[in-house]
Amino acid sequence: MKSQISALMDGDVALEDAEYLYTTLKSGGETTQAWADYHLIGDAMRGNPVFNPDFTERLMASLDQEPILLVPAVKRKQALLKNSKLWSVAASVSAVAFVGWVVLQQQVQNGIDDDATPMEIAQSLPADYWLAHQSQASNNSAYYIQPANYSE
Amino acid sequence: MKRFLLAFLLATPIVVVHAESEDPWLVLKKAAQAAHDLSYAGVFIYQSGENVKSVQITHTNSGQGEYARVVVLDGTPREMLSQGSDVVIFSPKNEKVIMEKRRAHNLFPAVLPVDIEHLKASYQARIGGTERVAGRDGRVVFLDPRDSLRYAYKFWADREYGLLLKSLMLNEQKQMLEKMAFSQVNMLEDQGMDWFHPNVDHSKHYILEEANAQPAQESSGWTVGALPAGYRKVEQVTRLVPGKTAPVTQVIFTDGLASVSLFIEPLSKGIRPKIGQTSKGATNFYANVSKGHQILVVGEVPAATVAQIGSAVSFSSK
Repeated sequence: MKSQISALMDGDVALEDAEYLYTTLKSGGETTQAWADYHLIGDAMRGNPVFNPDFTERLMASLDQEPILLVPAVKRKQALLKNSKLWSVAASVSAVAFVGWVVLQQQVQNGIDDDATPMEIAQSLPADYWLAHQSQASNNSAYYIQPANYSE
Repeated sequence: MKRFLLAFLLATPIVVVHAESEDPWLVLKKAAQAAHDLSYAGVFIYQSGENVKSVQITHTNSGQGEYARVVVLDGTPREMLSQGSDVVIFSPKNEKVIMEKRRAHNLFPAVLPVDIEHLKASYQARIGGTERVAGRDGRVVFLDPRDSLRYAYKFWADREYGLLLKSLMLNEQKQMLEKMAFSQVNMLEDQGMDWFHPNVDHSKHYILEEANAQPAQESSGWTVGALPAGYRKVEQVTRLVPGKTAPVTQVIFTDGLASVSLFIEPLSKGIRPKIGQTSKGATNFYANVSKGHQILVVGEVPAATVAQIGSAVSFSSK
C-alpha cells in the first residue's frame, strides 16, 4: 500500500489508475491506520502539535527496527538521499496530504472525529469555498489564470 | 524680447504639465470602455503572491460584439473563449479537458466597471505621471480607498488608446497583492475570426461541466444587516460545494472593484464547524457558527470587511 502511494507520487502510476487507492484508504482497517499515522506525520511537518499518545511510541518502535548505520556523517547523508525508503516515506506523506482529504471527509462523516468541536479555519483553508467564490464573483481574474484548486 | 522669450520657454513646460492634468475619473472611464470597445492582442503577466503567469489575450470588437480568447502560457494550459457575456473555460485535468460555461468576468484589461460612478463613494482617484509600460506611454491613476474596508489600486492607462496597460492591487502597507501588466500589446485592425477557436488536443476527452450554481430566491430565516460602507449585494445563488451533500447559499457583495462571497448553510452532523479568521495572499476568510448555521465569508478584501459581513448575518427566531 505504502509503495503504491509512493508510486503514485513518483508518477509511476497515473492518477487515473489510482482510484483504488481512494477506495482502499476509505475501506478502513490496516490501511486506514497507516493513513492515520501518515496524517500525523503530515501534521507534525506542518507544525500542528496533534500527536496521539501512542504515536511516538509506535514511531520509536519502528525506528528501533531500522539497522544502525556505522558510516561517516557525510556518507550517511548521501546514503540517506539515495535511500529509497526515506524517499518513499516522504512521498507517502505528500501523497497522503494529496489524497488525504477524501478520506478525512469520509472519517469525519463516520463520526470518528469529534464533530461537535469547532475547528479553527486557519487549520484547513476552505479551498472549495474559495474556488466557489472565485468562480462566481465577477471581479476575479484569478479564476481564469490561477484558480484556488491549482494554487497548491 | 529675448528675455521674454526665455521666460516663456522656461514657463512652457509648467504650462504643459498643468494642461495635462486630466480628470482621473475620465481616464478610468475611458479605460473601462476601451477594454470592451477596442480590438487588441498581447501578452500580460499575472502575479499574485509567488505565483506568476504569462497570459496571452486576443480581444476584438468590430461592432458585432466582443470576442476574446485568453490562453495561460505557463503551467497548466488553461484557455478561455468568450463571446459577449458567454464564457467557456477549458482546463486540462489528467487525460480529460473540463469545459466550464460561465458568465463574463472582469478579466484584465477589463477590470474596471463600465459604470465608474459606483466607485466614487468608496475610492478617491488621483492622477499621477506618465510611465512607460509594454513600450507604450501610460498615464498613472491612483485609486485610494476612502476607508480601510478595501484595498488600493494603481492603474496605468495607455495615453493614446485609453486601454489599461497595467493594474496593481495594494494593501494598507502599500505591498503588492496582485499585479497584471501587459508586456506586449498591439491594436488589431482587420483580424478575421480565424483565431477564435480553442487549441484542441485530440488525444483527450472533453467533458462539459454543468454549472453548479443556481439563482436563488430570497432566503428565509436569516438576513444580512448593515453591510460595510460602499458594498452592495449583487447576486444570490444556491450551489453545490464538493464534500457537501446539501446545497449552500452564496451571496455576493461588491463595491464595484472588490468582491466578497458569503456562504450560509445549516450545520450538518459529522462535519466539524469552522470558526475564526485567516488569510492567503489578498484573500481573507472569516468563519463563524450561529443558530445552527455555518457562516463563511471569502473575499479579496481586508480582514475587517469579511468579519463585518460575517457578523452582520442574523437569524430570525422561529
